[in-house]
Amino acid sequence: MNDKGFMRETLAEGAVAFKEGRMDRRTFLILCGMAGVATQAVLTGDAEAAANEIVMWNWGGQAEQCHGEAIGAPFKAETGMDLKFDTSGPLQGKIKEMVDSGKVTADVCDADLFDAVALGASGHLEAIDYGVVSKDRTIDRYALEYGTSIILYGYAFVYDTKAFGDNPPTGWADFFDTKKFPGKRSLYKWANGSLEAALIADGVAKDALYPLDMDRSLAKIKSIKDDSIYWGSASEAHSMVVNGEVAMCMVWQNRGRGIEKDTDGRYKLVMNEAIAMPGAYIVPKGNPAGREAVMKFIATAQSVPAQLTLLSCLGMTPSNPEAFAQIPADLQPYAITSAQNIDKIVYNDPVWWGEKGGDAVNAFLDAIS
Amino acid sequence: MSDGAASGGLELKALTKRFGSFTAADNVNLDIQRGEFLTLLGPSGSGKTTLLMMIAGFLDITGGDILLDGSSIAAVPPERRNFGMVFQGYALFPHMSVHQNIAYPLDVRRRPKAEIERRVGEMLDLVQLQEFAHRLPRQLSGGQQQRVALARALCFAPPVLLLDEPLGALDKKLRIEVQAQLKDIHQRVGTTFVYVTHDQEEALSMSDRIVIMQNGRIEQIGTPQELYQRPRTAFAAGFLGKSNFLTANGALHALRPEKIDIAPRGKGKGANRLAGTVRNATYFGSFLKYDVSVVGMDTIEVDVDAWRAGEPIAVGTEVDLSWPDGAAVRLEDN
Amino acid sequence: MNGSPLARIGSGWLLVLPFLALVVALFLGPIVDILRLSVTDPEPGLGNYAALMTSDSLARILWTTLRVCAITTLFSVAFGYSIAYAMVHGVRRDRNWMLSLVLVSFWISVLVRTFSWLMLLGRKGLVNEALAGIGIISQPIEFMRNELGVLIGMVHYMIPYAVLPLLASMQTIDTRLVSASRSLGATGSQTFWRVYLPLTRPGLVAASLLVFILSLGFYVTPAILGGGKVLMVAEYISVQILVTLRWGTAAMLAALMLFGVLGLLFVMSRFMKLSTIFGGARA
Repeated sequence: MNDKGFMRETLAEGAVAFKEGRMDRRTFLILCGMAGVATQAVLTGDAEAAANEIVMWNWGGQAEQCHGEAIGAPFKAETGMDLKFDTSGPLQGKIKEMVDSGKVTADVCDADLFDAVALGASGHLEAIDYGVVSKDRTIDRYALEYGTSIILYGYAFVYDTKAFGDNPPTGWADFFDTKKFPGKRSLYKWANGSLEAALIADGVAKDALYPLDMDRSLAKIKSIKDDSIYWGSASEAHSMVVNGEVAMCMVWQNRGRGIEKDTDGRYKLVMNEAIAMPGAYIVPKGNPAGREAVMKFIATAQSVPAQLTLLSCLGMTPSNPEAFAQIPADLQPYAITSAQNIDKIVYNDPVWWGEKGGDAVNAFLDAIS
Repeated sequence: MSDGAASGGLELKALTKRFGSFTAADNVNLDIQRGEFLTLLGPSGSGKTTLLMMIAGFLDITGGDILLDGSSIAAVPPERRNFGMVFQGYALFPHMSVHQNIAYPLDVRRRPKAEIERRVGEMLDLVQLQEFAHRLPRQLSGGQQQRVALARALCFAPPVLLLDEPLGALDKKLRIEVQAQLKDIHQRVGTTFVYVTHDQEEALSMSDRIVIMQNGRIEQIGTPQELYQRPRTAFAAGFLGKSNFLTANGALHALRPEKIDIAPRGKGKGANRLAGTVRNATYFGSFLKYDVSVVGMDTIEVDVDAWRAGEPIAVGTEVDLSWPDGAAVRLEDN
Repeated sequence: MNGSPLARIGSGWLLVLPFLALVVALFLGPIVDILRLSVTDPEPGLGNYAALMTSDSLARILWTTLRVCAITTLFSVAFGYSIAYAMVHGVRRDRNWMLSLVLVSFWISVLVRTFSWLMLLGRKGLVNEALAGIGIISQPIEFMRNELGVLIGMVHYMIPYAVLPLLASMQTIDTRLVSASRSLGATGSQTFWRVYLPLTRPGLVAASLLVFILSLGFYVTPAILGGGKVLMVAEYISVQILVTLRWGTAAMLAALMLFGVLGLLFVMSRFMKLSTIFGGARA
């Protein structure tokens, strides 16, 4: 995998050099030959793009198609620039490594807003230009210096209607009550959402969560540890539910519809007290397309049509308040900011997570392992 | 240990082994006397090793029976037959010292420690390896390893010792030395030895009796003298020692080269005479070998005592070959 | 006393010099970098290493890792031993398909295996459903999403790695030694414990070290089959690098693993040398 990346990189650089006349044709062809790559593909692909494209670093899968449709197409129409993807997943560590190494190949990362807090403070990100990106087109508290929320996703849970159909669980207190609702639970393994849910279940008011009381939260998590397993990816959570391993499973709410469908309605999503997570676009320091171009791209992603396409395509809820009222009826139960859910949700604090997240994750891992 | 000398008579009855369509041992009948040194002699593929492995119990028999002192042991597994065995290449345990190797058969029989020490000491004396007791096999010479293998196989006083080409890996000079030691040890322990070899000299010098084998069958059984002087078949005559083959009175005869007198033409004196010409003369130190062509026959080999013969007869000389009555042995048809 | 030291190095070395330099640059470079990171991030000093002494959490992760790897090694080598034994001493005709099965299993991705185990041994898996169906159990047996699950998955993955060195070792054993032992009155089990097993010791050591070292790096299997509760070093390192950005801690753990493995390899090399000395059976 790495050598492939290395070869591609070399070729892309070679192609640029060739175009600019720094490398003669012969050398470039030899380079292509060594890499076993058709010259044409390189010339029309990475090389041309290097100057005239936005590279989006996301998590692949459906996102590639959806991002292209929702943002790539209108952005191309507007600016003539293409949208390309790196689908390897922009984890904090990878962004930091990329910027530190001085070889920045991505323009915008589909990340979390707490990443913007952590990486912005350490100087790894370009600041958002709120002259181009609109502060009004996202939720108030989620327009930060180094990142702006484009979508929301959230931690909700599904339960087994066969087990609890007559007296269904309605919130996190029920999720953590294994006496009243016996059966296995599954929680998110990297602490996020799990810590908040535990505190809400323990009686902390929704607006008094932060700063998180770690000891109290972990005590609550440990209280159901024997009945709990933990998932690390959405597909893992999905398969735990579909395989009937758990009676209740914390899930990303955008997975709710799929789970209800795949279990023929046996498992049902509970959106009450869902913890809203701001998904944010952030820009690695020194991005290849330049700050101006990428800011235009982020602004395009804020537009209402783009927001609605992301919802229908990926299940990601709009952050732009202008789009809230236009959420289609059939998606409203699964959307965080729909009229029926918006008053029941809890807002994640990206600043706390950006500053304390590392310690919190390690403490959580220590508690569950 | 006491049963060793009291038993050891082996009887093979119509013993047969087939591998698929190939018959490795074909209806072999053989009585092996208590305390005897019996050699199975034959070229490779003659079935001698197959026979030995069936006696040892490593090969199932296809037909027939094996009796030890009158009772069948065909169904007894090798470890309960109580036969000692010396393998080709010795098969010493490389991770054990000489002492541990020799003690092994007593160890696995859970004998008392004192008895093991005494017995191993005796065995080390027998094969004269006392000072090598704590070496590993790879630190010994080939001849020494061979003696360890022998001591190990004799340590538990087996009624029968089976030896599978035990001297094959030694050079010729050492082999002759070890032959003498082996024979000496045989006489001292009184165990029945069944010895497999393809080396006729080894067979002649050590055996009480030799079994010549061919194609899975016994060709001839007898003492070394009987087999050498009176081979019954052309194969036996050719495999054990050298022979000239002559046809006389409509039958094939074997005539050993050393039984022929050679003299210049007209001076031959034996009862039986042939005229020929010396084609080649080779000096071997103790004897002279002449190749003599005779009209209408194969070249005849004549060995004469080099010391008594005086001046060699020159190549090209016309000679008379002669031998006394009874020197040529009439062979059975095959 | 002929020639300069350089001449004595010989032209052969000059030929490989460019590649050697490449290896040093591509391989040693990053390792040095990791070592450097482990004593400089977040601040210069041995703080990351000191944490080993003071942090219960790190100690527990290391203990879990060592325990899981040791048990995995024990069972993988035991199963691998019987498989290799059957291959070497079974019917020759069977040997080829057995070997192909062992080799084919190398090509099955760890993810596929992991999810197959969930299908088979999960709460609603084939085995639990079958047992419940015939009424042997009323509650599903917890095979998966715990340490047992991790062990099952890892042992399954590691068995082929144990088989190959054992196979090589068993093939060099002179079968006459086994015959000799039996002719000397030893039963089958005596022969095995006193002759066969000691002779395969170099193979056992090689297989154990190989499995143990590979197990140390296991990530996917513990993460999934452990249900999040079995946290091993490899996964923890990855979290510290990617999520919590504790690169110093990650580098320290990586260095610890590296030197642990190097130490084991040193032991291994000693044994391998011994094996050639002991290899008298080959002659």
